[in-house]
Amino acid sequence: MAEPGHPAVVDATAPARGRLPLGRRLSAWASQERVFRLIPFIAVEAVFILVIIIPFILTIYISLLRWRANRPFEQANFSGFLNYGRVLAKDEFWMALGRTFYFAGAAVILELLIGFVLAYLLHRHIRGRRLYITIFLAPMMVVPVVVGYNFSMIYVDSGPLNEILAPFLEPFGIDPRIRWLSNPFAAQWAIILADVWQWTSLTFLIFLSGFAALPQQLINAARVLGASPAQIFWRVQLPLLKPAIIIAVVIRSMEALKMFDPVVLLTFGGPGISTQTIAYYLWQEVWVFSKYSYGAAASILLLIFFSVFIFFGIWLLVRQRESVRRVDVDI
Amino acid sequence: MAEIVLRDLVKRFGPIAAVAGVNLRIEDGEFLIMVGPSGCGKTTTLNMISGLETPTSGEIRIGDRVVNDLEPGERGLGMVFQDLALFPHMTVFENIAFGLRVKKTDGAEVERRVKAAAEAMHIGALIDKRPSECSGGEAQRVALARTIVNDPSVFLMDEPLSSLDAKLRLDMRTELKHLHHRLRATFVYVTHDQAEAMTMADRIVVMQGGRIEQVGAPLEIYRRPATRFVAGFFGIPTMNFLEGEVAAGGEGDGPAFRSTRVEQPLSASTPTDVAGRAAPLGVRAEHVRLVPSDDGGGRVTLTEPLGDETLVFFEYGGAAPLVAKVDPDSPLGPGDPVAFEFDREWCHLFDAEGGARLN
Repeated sequence: MAEPGHPAVVDATAPARGRLPLGRRLSAWASQERVFRLIPFIAVEAVFILVIIIPFILTIYISLLRWRANRPFEQANFSGFLNYGRVLAKDEFWMALGRTFYFAGAAVILELLIGFVLAYLLHRHIRGRRLYITIFLAPMMVVPVVVGYNFSMIYVDSGPLNEILAPFLEPFGIDPRIRWLSNPFAAQWAIILADVWQWTSLTFLIFLSGFAALPQQLINAARVLGASPAQIFWRVQLPLLKPAIIIAVVIRSMEALKMFDPVVLLTFGGPGISTQTIAYYLWQEVWVFSKYSYGAAASILLLIFFSVFIFFGIWLLVRQRESVRRVDVDI
Repeated sequence: MAEIVLRDLVKRFGPIAAVAGVNLRIEDGEFLIMVGPSGCGKTTTLNMISGLETPTSGEIRIGDRVVNDLEPGERGLGMVFQDLALFPHMTVFENIAFGLRVKKTDGAEVERRVKAAAEAMHIGALIDKRPSECSGGEAQRVALARTIVNDPSVFLMDEPLSSLDAKLRLDMRTELKHLHHRLRATFVYVTHDQAEAMTMADRIVVMQGGRIEQVGAPLEIYRRPATRFVAGFFGIPTMNFLEGEVAAGGEGDGPAFRSTRVEQPLSASTPTDVAGRAAPLGVRAEHVRLVPSDDGGGRVTLTEPLGDETLVFFEYGGAAPLVAKVDPDSPLGPGDPVAFEFDREWCHLFDAEGGARLN
């Protein structure tokens, strides 16, 4: 664009531009100030649109069709909210959802309790502290598939778990070859424990940094005022760790509600459907039974359910964070 | 009785002795201030009195009890921390009540005593607020109220005013002194601010490198510093120091201090055994007299008017410029030639090696 104030500049560059190779012209264009400062935004927006927005809209669209893998996409009919009605009417969907909340609830509660106790024990300077921290953080870094496979080996009839239990069971005449993954209740807890083993690391890490962030002077002040270690814990440390606890609950709940890997690796949803989580159920409907539209509708419904649940958690979190931030500024 | 006695107190952190043998008797009802540069061991000493640190060796007595093995809460003392350490998740009321609550004091009694302490510190209106909603000065009063509500016989304070702005700090100094008069409790106060120590203390303990350099009343420390370190630490501006040696007095004239540029007669009371020794001379700015003169050997470099007096910095050919306090109406300005002279009664001589006072 020729600016009236600078005709000479425009005249000098305009004829030259045509002779430059494409790459040079492109880089010259991109290095203009008004273009260059937009480049990071363009990249982020492009990725966002490609991997989030387009699939999301596509999922909504597919959920409104009647499309299974046995029919070409172009021939799928529009079916309105039929799929949503089917999902909501399906007992397996609700059972899988209920089971997911049961697994996630049990796993997250155990992870919080164990992670908290470990962090409490290690937040002070004791011998071998670094070694223990490293060990307790390791499970988190193991690939979930490996964790699932290892646990499936632990739980087999002649596996190490039964080997350990045998001396305690044989005197009572109990056959020590317990088939952990064949009993519905035992199989459910086998999955929960595998998740607890892997993800207690994360809650431990969150609580450990929570303890590290507590000002030592507050604890000193409480000591001088005559508080016992138990009183310091209940009246000072625990209330101040509330933000860390909520962060751990939200992060772990978000992940645990998507529990999939241990189910596939340990039980394949069985025995029967007793260990089917909602993620497993969805996967099966879409990829085993090829019910694409049904799966899309179920995903959208889950998104709504989980969003309500998680946003409630985040609302709690933000409320806590704000009260803590005010403290940080003033004290 | 809340006399505190420290005997041969030592605290080591690994190879470093933070406190290297402190002996001190703090009288009942005294306002004692420990002062020194960062890392001198004053806070460690205070923490050992409070019980937050365990001594490596030595003995701490409060009243007639050896308290080495007592928990901080069992020592009957109150502490105000540098960052105040108010509990951010509690209201001001609950902060003040904390010490009573952990002792399972009756609810009505807590209510009465907290209200009384809050009134005494003029924070009655803040009682339902959170510490984060209090200003710096208000938070300071909350921290004091939290301490006085437990009625301790000893108050320990670790630089409690350092988080306040300059104006508020001056006001709180006065208030703390009033509080001490009213409570008649023993105050042990740690600061690195020599002005704070001078204004509030009954006695000052100057520490350096884990040891006590001098214990004395504020004016005594100012007028007769026991070591070169104390002399340099106290007083604004910093005392002038000149390197040189002491010459014995001959007939008709007394001993004198000589350096390459300065010859300064000394008081007749100067000990005779100092003669012939290398001894740095210290002299405060108010004991330097300046006269405009073309052949005095000095030249003014800059002036700092303070209102009631003016500081004049001047070169004399020595290692560092000297400073003098003069009348604010003095006509001296940068570049003016001056002659200077020290008040011989106020010349301090120190040992060149250890820094101990010689005269």
